Amino acid sequence: MFWQNPLFRRELLGRLRSWKTMAAILAVALVSSALVLLRWPSDSTVDIVSQGSMLVFRPLAFALSLAVMMLVPAFPATSLVSERKKGTLTLLLNSPTTPVQIYLGKLLSNVALALVLISVSLPALAACYAMGGISIRNHLGPLALVLVVMAFQYTALGLWISTRSSSTDSSLRWTYATVLALAVLSMGPLVIIGNLSGITATVAKWLTAVSPVSALQQITGNQAAAATLGISTGWVEFLVLSVLISLALAVVTIRKLDPILLDRARPTGKVIGVTTKKSWLRGMAYLIDPNKRKSGIPGWLNPIMVKEFRTRKFGRLHWLVRLVAICAIVSLLLTVVAATGTVSWGVERIAGPLVLMQVALLLLVGPSLGANLISSEIESGGWQILRATPVSPLRIFSGKIMSVVWTMLLVLLATLPGYAVMSFIQPAMSGQVGNVIISLLVAVCMVVSISACISSFVRTTAGATATSYGVLLALFAGTLLIWLARGRPFGPIFVERVLMLNPAAAALSEMNTPGFESYNLTPTAWWIGALISVGCLALFAIRIWRLTKPD
Amino acid sequence: MSDSEDYVVRTENLTKSYGEFTALDDLSIYVKRGTILGFIGPNGAGKTTTIKILVGLSRPTSGSAYIAGVNCSENAAKIKHLVGYMPDKFGSYDNMRVREYLDFFGAVFGIRGPERAKRIDEVLEITHSAYMQDKFVESLSHGMQQRVGIARTLLHNPEVLILDEPANGLDPKARIEMREILLRLAAEGKTLIVTSHILPELARICDTVAIITGGKLRAFGELDEVMRRLCPMRSFEVQLLREADLERAADVIAEHVERDDIALSPQERILRFPTAHTEEEMATVLEALVSSCIPVAQFREVAGDLEDAFLSVAAPGEKLQSASS
Repeated sequence: MFWQNPLFRRELLGRLRSWKTMAAILAVALVSSALVLLRWPSDSTVDIVSQGSMLVFRPLAFALSLAVMMLVPAFPATSLVSERKKGTLTLLLNSPTTPVQIYLGKLLSNVALALVLISVSLPALAACYAMGGISIRNHLGPLALVLVVMAFQYTALGLWISTRSSSTDSSLRWTYATVLALAVLSMGPLVIIGNLSGITATVAKWLTAVSPVSALQQITGNQAAAATLGISTGWVEFLVLSVLISLALAVVTIRKLDPILLDRARPTGKVIGVTTKKSWLRGMAYLIDPNKRKSGIPGWLNPIMVKEFRTRKFGRLHWLVRLVAICAIVSLLLTVVAATGTVSWGVERIAGPLVLMQVALLLLVGPSLGANLISSEIESGGWQILRATPVSPLRIFSGKIMSVVWTMLLVLLATLPGYAVMSFIQPAMSGQVGNVIISLLVAVCMVVSISACISSFVRTTAGATATSYGVLLALFAGTLLIWLARGRPFGPIFVERVLMLNPAAAALSEMNTPGFESYNLTPTAWWIGALISVGCLALFAIRIWRLTKPD
Repeated sequence: MSDSEDYVVRTENLTKSYGEFTALDDLSIYVKRGTILGFIGPNGAGKTTTIKILVGLSRPTSGSAYIAGVNCSENAAKIKHLVGYMPDKFGSYDNMRVREYLDFFGAVFGIRGPERAKRIDEVLEITHSAYMQDKFVESLSHGMQQRVGIARTLLHNPEVLILDEPANGLDPKARIEMREILLRLAAEGKTLIVTSHILPELARICDTVAIITGGKLRAFGELDEVMRRLCPMRSFEVQLLREADLERAADVIAEHVERDDIALSPQERILRFPTAHTEEEMATVLEALVSSCIPVAQFREVAGDLEDAFLSVAAPGEKLQSASS
């Protein structure tokens, strides 16, 4: 059986021996136990309507699915691309092992590890069951199914992206982006646009079913909250869609494991030095002609910053223009929605998702850029060469940081028209909108500084990217998880203090988003965000200084 | 002192320790302007440690290193302008074309506008890399990357080039091209320090060699002098016209050298033997063969190589990883 599959054995045993796996297992065990301990009822009366157990079960279910989302895709996302880069994939493909066996070995080993992760929360789930009101048929069974299917889906997704990427960090970036899109953005059309009819309503409904949130809302008995957002699908729809998506991904990935398909030609690097009629047409189509030879770096620009832009695909001007254009179009669409629906919905209905989508975009773009700053340079051997040049640590620091800050600001600016329209519709909101923008700027600073700091400590790009995503997700999504468990055991003061670490929560409270109205987070959240950013930047600067010094 | 002024690279009792481990022990070498130093040693011998100290990336525990009279550890900033350093790892950047790559390093070295563009054209020309200027750096073959690496080290017109394993992994054609480039640079007055595992390759370009093992300098000097010192015994080959004469020829030669040292190869009709005899004494051996009516097809000296020299100083078990290549 699959235990005979040499890849399955190698991958699973290899990873079980790693300290990172042990740390992840311990973290899941500790968090799940802590959640139960904190929420364990201390009243002398018995809760016959099972409210108490549900109060424990709900955050536990969300925490477990967040752990699966954060931990499961990391390994498959880097697996095939790193095997290809090291040349071991060619060896595997030239062995009697079939592409299906290779695929199943990688898929099943990762899912097995996810099962180990989930199983450490069994005592906590058993405690919920013991409290009463939680059944295996309606709660624990569906939750286990949802988590396992999530593990299958995200592993299949990571493996598919891994076959298509040229580097481990880009694979990691695209995988997390897609996971985020599947989990959060898929709910966008229904939640934001709302009252749809006909085929668009059906599409939006099934799109929502892709997200595990709809399934978890049903399992944790939160249908009322889901209904207010317009969500009507449950865990069965999620399972059906996820299995279908996983199967489709498996087919395309196995097809891609054909040695002939992996044999890619080197990019020709076609570039022209002079302006022709063709290049003029290309310039019109792309706004900037991508085939035109770049001029030298101007003396007034920091060469490190220019290098950082040029070494990333999205840093190329024609890609940057496309990225900003897409952001602007999405923002304008939201603006239209806001302009047509604000009167009947209330501004806070559109403001909440808008803030969350902007933060999701910042969280998606920021770590992938920031986490590369030093680690990729060390990994590629470029750092050793850079050290042998007369460039100063200060110049490296400013060039690296500004290359990310400018990109993030461009993305942020392109998403701002929605707020302009809100201010136009309700001029009284101008102050709130201003505070939201400040909160988002603080979020930018935190994302950039934290991921840059991590990049200077972790020596591999994939490691730095995964760590950055993990830390930032814990900071931005983890605090919202505590907010989700507000009331019991976390009192309002504790929740408010935790939310102060999250500038996105500050933006949501400024917009009076339901659930955030009672918190007074600004300006303290800004100061905390600024302090974290300054601390991380200082650490980043010290690390750069140390790394440039002679050994 | 006048002698030391001729030396553009100078290390004096250079020592580098990491805790109790001594990576480099009392190394003193001198390299004259416009010459090529072959720096030889197995993995972990201390070559890269020495190079890092010379480039200003590492500080010695004791001793000192100078390039063009500038102390490498005290004035690292100035050293970076004097030295062009090519590490064994190329250091490529994704999505960057060759010209952009060189432009970036030109800008980092403070070369401005039109002068930078001109300099890039020059170094591409020197390294025969102009045709690949629009190719993506990561898509280049290893040989192409090595040439771009040399172009990068030349950008700021340094006095000294330090190249770590420039011929490693190159195919024969690329090796010949690399050799030509290095010889041309030396002819233009650049001083080169080249490390390599491929000793026959180094022997063709080096003026001086330094052999280092276990952090200690085992031999240093001009190539011929080192060869003479380390390999005093010369190797001779005598090829006969007839196989039947092999034993008789061995008896004749045995009157001049030890009989046990003579090796016979019947298939090739060759006798091989080591000797410390002078040219005159070897002429006597040839004369003895001829007067014994043994028809000789060839009588020649087999040139010793750096590999033999290295093996004569290396401790047992110390081998060059790719010496055979």
